[in-house]
Amino acid sequence: MTDLLHSVGDTPPPVAPGTPPILQLQGICKYFPGVIANQDVSLDIAPGEIHALLGENGAGKSTLMNVVTGIYQPDGGEIILDGYGQNFAGPQDAIRAGIGMVHQHFKLVPAFTVAENIHLGWRETPFLASARVLEARTRALSERFGFSVRPDAIVADLSAGEQQRVEILRVLARQARLLILDEPTAVLTPTETRDLFRALRAFRAQGNAVILISHKLDEVIDISDRISILRAGRNVGTYRTADCTAGGLATIMVGREIVRRDLRARAPGAAPIAAAPVLSLRGATCRDPRGVETLRDVTLDLHGGEILGIAGVAGNGQRELTQVLTGMMPLSSGRILLDGTPAPLADPAAFARVGIGHIPEDRLRSGLAPSLDITDNMALREYDRPPIGRHGLYDRNAAGRLAQTIVEAAEVRVPDLATPIRNLSGGNQQRLVARREIRIASRVLVAAYPSRGLDIGAIATVLRYLTDLRDQGVAVVLVSEDLEELLNVADRIGVLFHGQLMATIDAATADMETIGLLMGGRSAHGGGDA
Amino acid sequence: MAGTLQRLPTVTPGRRLAWRAGAVVTALAITTLFLALSGRDPRLLADLVVRSTVGSRFGLEDLALFLTPLLLTGAAVTVTGRIGVWNIGAEGQFYAGAIGATAVGLYLPGPAWLVLPLMAANGIACGMGWILVPALARAYAGVNEIITTLLLNFVAGLLTTYLAVGPWHDRVTGALASTGRLPVRIPEIWGVVHWGFPIALAVVLGLAWLTTRTRWGYQITISGANEQAARYAGMKVRARILGVMLLSGGLAALAGVFEVAGTVHRLQGGLANNFGYFGIVVAVLARGSCLNVLPAALLMAFILNAGIVLQTEQLTASAVLAITGLVLFMIAIADELAHYRPVTIRAEARP
Repeated sequence: MTDLLHSVGDTPPPVAPGTPPILQLQGICKYFPGVIANQDVSLDIAPGEIHALLGENGAGKSTLMNVVTGIYQPDGGEIILDGYGQNFAGPQDAIRAGIGMVHQHFKLVPAFTVAENIHLGWRETPFLASARVLEARTRALSERFGFSVRPDAIVADLSAGEQQRVEILRVLARQARLLILDEPTAVLTPTETRDLFRALRAFRAQGNAVILISHKLDEVIDISDRISILRAGRNVGTYRTADCTAGGLATIMVGREIVRRDLRARAPGAAPIAAAPVLSLRGATCRDPRGVETLRDVTLDLHGGEILGIAGVAGNGQRELTQVLTGMMPLSSGRILLDGTPAPLADPAAFARVGIGHIPEDRLRSGLAPSLDITDNMALREYDRPPIGRHGLYDRNAAGRLAQTIVEAAEVRVPDLATPIRNLSGGNQQRLVARREIRIASRVLVAAYPSRGLDIGAIATVLRYLTDLRDQGVAVVLVSEDLEELLNVADRIGVLFHGQLMATIDAATADMETIGLLMGGRSAHGGGDA
Repeated sequence: MAGTLQRLPTVTPGRRLAWRAGAVVTALAITTLFLALSGRDPRLLADLVVRSTVGSRFGLEDLALFLTPLLLTGAAVTVTGRIGVWNIGAEGQFYAGAIGATAVGLYLPGPAWLVLPLMAANGIACGMGWILVPALARAYAGVNEIITTLLLNFVAGLLTTYLAVGPWHDRVTGALASTGRLPVRIPEIWGVVHWGFPIALAVVLGLAWLTTRTRWGYQITISGANEQAARYAGMKVRARILGVMLLSGGLAALAGVFEVAGTVHRLQGGLANNFGYFGIVVAVLARGSCLNVLPAALLMAFILNAGIVLQTEQLTASAVLAITGLVLFMIAIADELAHYRPVTIRAEARP
């Protein structure tokens, strides 16, 4: 990531002495019932600065940004913009003041097209505009900011990465002076990340400022000018990036040394890799409603006691592959075999019953019912089996005990089990979903982007869950965009490109370059269609 | 010092109840104010209302007669709400149930112990039949159920009037607007209150159990909260939508059966008396909980009963609708306000 285009405004533009910070926070406090989200946070964001905000999940970053963008009102402290105190009654005030935010969870209207989403609630949207005009405007914006989007595509049909691009474009189009990005690169490919960073540097060169929330330390060191670290709701320090190292930052962030662990090494007594595959695909092909092949002729075997990594740029068939492997999507052609015999027809309940767990890509949207309490959500996979489900009944007490067990195994602190699960942080939700799925995954666990949006500590925990499961003889499929993670954890790595499994390679001998070429659609032997 | 409001992510039941109580009191205060402005003595009217609803035996009997259909139509709308579907057609299913029961009652002679269950069974089947097409369209074709169920209300209402003045009209007394008196009736247990009342109570309690303590109820809850999560867990969401809507049609129809066989004893136009629509009000007040249908239906029955009393004092019948609307309006506001609590911001001197 160090070979980025450093020629375009690599250093912040000169700022006249005495220029007030674009944004100044003084002693911001924010409390929720039973939780201190922010306590006495002070922060300066200078014009022409990219300011990174680091912190573990639950450190209070999202709450602080919600205060800055007017979604929450602070319980104490002051927000000062360009030297003047401000009181945002709502997000519209913040947008008017030139503060734009791209959220980690997408805030797009799924049923609208890209062009409609870009123009929704925007003062510059023409009063009378046909779809064609909106699409032309969107195309112009996408070229200007260097984000390629399909203006006429329906947002619901887009992959997570493409939706994120629309989100960023939407805020950039509104000419924000202070841009806040929450985990913007989590769903971007390396090329897209490079494009984004180029755009951010150009943005900074015009005297604007960026607040970047990220967990990727290398990225933060690469792009930011200063770094502030939140821990347990407090600002524990602001540093010049030039003075920082990745290891030092990680230590301050978690308040302890991170122990790197060789994740491929088996614990003594771990189950060996099974000779016979537990779940297999033979020529698996899926078509979407438009007849486009989203998964093409995929053949692969999953063995117990092994982690199969799936690499690829987002939107190249990962979603279809995970859904086929968990019984959520029927095959258009080809076969799926369980222990060598044809598996039940696409029926997620039947797949779960035979011991196939699934950590879904978007946990809030498809793995949880956000408005329901923790108990109901934790029972989702075991409600139909004893002790919760007997004779067609649903035993709430047994469900409560199960939820308690999962909460303890996930080491998540919750006020009580009747809390709606949407009130928990993303990291805690992911831990709970992971533990819930691990319980039923006696044969296979399919984990789609399990570390997305998590901090270093939480990622290590989730990866340990996967390796422990592998050591128990379960076949694990890990879909990830983080190549380093795949190379550390997986035994074999399969690379998807345009729905095709380009190759499955041994992770121990694989290198980044080979995988990168495969992700770009070239075969490992130098041929290909690029 | 500057004041501002802070939004709470979740509202405790006690907090909501307090706000709602305040809303009802406010609605009553506004009603009183308008009665006073129109030159009436609110204290006299209030005294009359209390005496003739909860303050006397006749009042309590009437209350129970109002409560019986409201419990069932309220429950009918509440159960569909649990899966995210609005059954606006309880009125039509009520009529369908009454028609089905009347058909058996008029044309199938036999002892009451045999005919009454057959009336109920046929009535419920007719109610389910009435919602079947909207339910299939909703579950398998995604057709908005609010429109389809609503429009069928008018069909059912007109069909009832046609049957009552046409083919089934009373040939004995020659009355033009209704069928003949049904030969069997649901036995009374207390004054004019018949067995339909305890049965309706039991049905609502049974539903509360069904929706929260059974596997089926859990699947309904999950499907209603997040359809994608339900599919992820392998639940048959379409089959559940179909099942819940049929159950809802059957419940509303049972209200119609009780009304015709226990209270009115003959089929006539306007029999449903808006009970189906008031069921929606009850469901909104109950917020998806079948147990909450009990107090919600009681409040609604009280308002309806009070309305009858006010009409005897020459108040227009529309006053009841106005009061109902006012109560609902105030409670909607209270539910939203319960999410907020005032906080003060320290305003410090700026440099």
